[in-house]
Amino acid sequence: MADTLTVVPHPRRRPAARVWRDRLPGIVMGGPAVLVFLAMFIVPMFLAFVLSLTDWNGYSLNFTFIGLDNYAEAFRNPRTVDAAIFTAVVAFFGTVLCNGVGLTIAALISGSGRANTLMRTIFFYPYIISALIIGFLWSAMLAPEGAVNGLLGHLGAPPVPFLTEVVFAKASVILTIVWSHFGFNMILFLAGIKSVPPEYYEAATVDGASKWQQFRNVTLPLIAPVFTVNLVLTLVGLLKVYDIVLALTDGGPAGSTQTIVYQILRDSFAQSELGFGAAQSVILLLVTAVLGLAVTFARRGAEQKVAD
Amino acid sequence: MRRYPTPRRRLRAPGVGTVLKWALLGAAALVMLVPLYIMVINAFKPQEAIISSPLAIGPDTFSLEYLQAALTSEKFNVVRAYGVTLLFVALVNVFGIALAAPVAYVIARGRSKWHLGLLLLFVSGLFIPGQVTLIPVVFVLRVLGLINTIPGFILFETAATLPVTIFLFAAYLRTVPRDIDEAAALDGAGKIRAFWACIFPIMRPVVATIVVLNSISVWNDFVSPQIILGPGSGIYTVTTGVYAAVGEFSTDYTTVFPTLLLAVTPAILFFVLMQRHIIGGLVAGATKG
Repeated sequence: MADTLTVVPHPRRRPAARVWRDRLPGIVMGGPAVLVFLAMFIVPMFLAFVLSLTDWNGYSLNFTFIGLDNYAEAFRNPRTVDAAIFTAVVAFFGTVLCNGVGLTIAALISGSGRANTLMRTIFFYPYIISALIIGFLWSAMLAPEGAVNGLLGHLGAPPVPFLTEVVFAKASVILTIVWSHFGFNMILFLAGIKSVPPEYYEAATVDGASKWQQFRNVTLPLIAPVFTVNLVLTLVGLLKVYDIVLALTDGGPAGSTQTIVYQILRDSFAQSELGFGAAQSVILLLVTAVLGLAVTFARRGAEQKVAD
Repeated sequence: MRRYPTPRRRLRAPGVGTVLKWALLGAAALVMLVPLYIMVINAFKPQEAIISSPLAIGPDTFSLEYLQAALTSEKFNVVRAYGVTLLFVALVNVFGIALAAPVAYVIARGRSKWHLGLLLLFVSGLFIPGQVTLIPVVFVLRVLGLINTIPGFILFETAATLPVTIFLFAAYLRTVPRDIDEAAALDGAGKIRAFWACIFPIMRPVVATIVVLNSISVWNDFVSPQIILGPGSGIYTVTTGVYAAVGEFSTDYTTVFPTLLLAVTPAILFFVLMQRHIIGGLVAGATKG
């Protein structure tokens, strides 16, 4: 009633009770999701930082604060440093190869027709299989007595230590990841390529541009935003790679293929050093955020050029 | 001059480029399919035959006993794991959608900075890797007394689905005209009832996308069930069960291949049936996100 009488000056100001009655449905509708999300995401994120300053072992709720010791340990501990380096190698080569192969194949099968659709299915299917199972499958195939060495033996070639020698094992991890993941990048590139208006190609053809020139000067600039999404998603995803390593090499040989998440989960749960694990998690979170944002901003330049 | 080659090329037999392209694609396709083929045929062979001739299968080596052994294994009850995982998939979908849809509606219809803040809060979850929060989540669940329990696991998985779900729902709801809200309000229904009765049914396409995306991620998740449920709970999903069954015996291929085959079959069937939805959903999720 009140606000119909007090006219113009503050039309928005209403009695508190009424404001709350108007807001109630919104609170009832939004509240539960906010609560669940706070409890399982936001509070844990801050807790990760708090726990990283303690020696919590994961079982009891008793622990003491030990300052930044866990962070100092993370930079000193050779296992963590090695794991960080290998993770960086996987993230770099994985991102380059997944996107390189994904883009190449997307460009080759971007036409319509059954053969192209079939190819799309074949290249994409590993993506929907759990990474753990992909890892076990390739582990069985690349083992010293596995299928790949069996085939090489039939061809008269000596066995290759795919999983038992450091350099080979590292390459095997990266190539298995690429095998299972480039289909996802390909799908996004395909969606981007197909959204390019056909008139652009017609115009380019009239101008006498070859297929390659069309791809280079029409397609590539126009799919710049898709490229950014692909780079960021792959990079951020590979920084936390774990399942596939666990199943393929279990971090071996001699710990050479341990990734940072492998390290975090082992310290946290096998060694019961959750405080130390939390410190490494916080570092990973910061690195992920910084790299993700850096790539996004670096790519913004490339996208801007197209808009101009 | 330059314009002529294109029409002429169509009349000729396929050019060198086309042949080369399909040869390359064919070779790449073989690399993709041979592992699948090896997994399928070797699920029916004894150990010596798997090692000596991994690509061959004949009537002399074919046997169903290994698949049957894997089906009835005491270490890993596959049928039970299918049931448990499907139950988890269903529960996470129901709770995730029930929580996300109304809040996405509030966000999509709100104009204040609070609503934008709410959207940003949930979207920030897209950039937090689940593995990073897992350790403190264990802490929170321990405080709540839900560690190693199904409700604790469902709570975490549901929360993990919220960022993408809310983001896609809100984006979709922005395209739904406000007239519908007003028509629903005229019926005299409360705001909440009006949402579920009038708006939610319109969201069917985006709900389908989300169900597909969430189902794949819950079905394939390994770390969260392994850590939150833990081997001590005796509850195995398909992935944690495979890890328990194959992890120790990774050189006994008569266990490895049949177990992997059983674990993969439902995912492959789902893929074959839902391929268009899966691909469409992934593209929507990635490019809008």
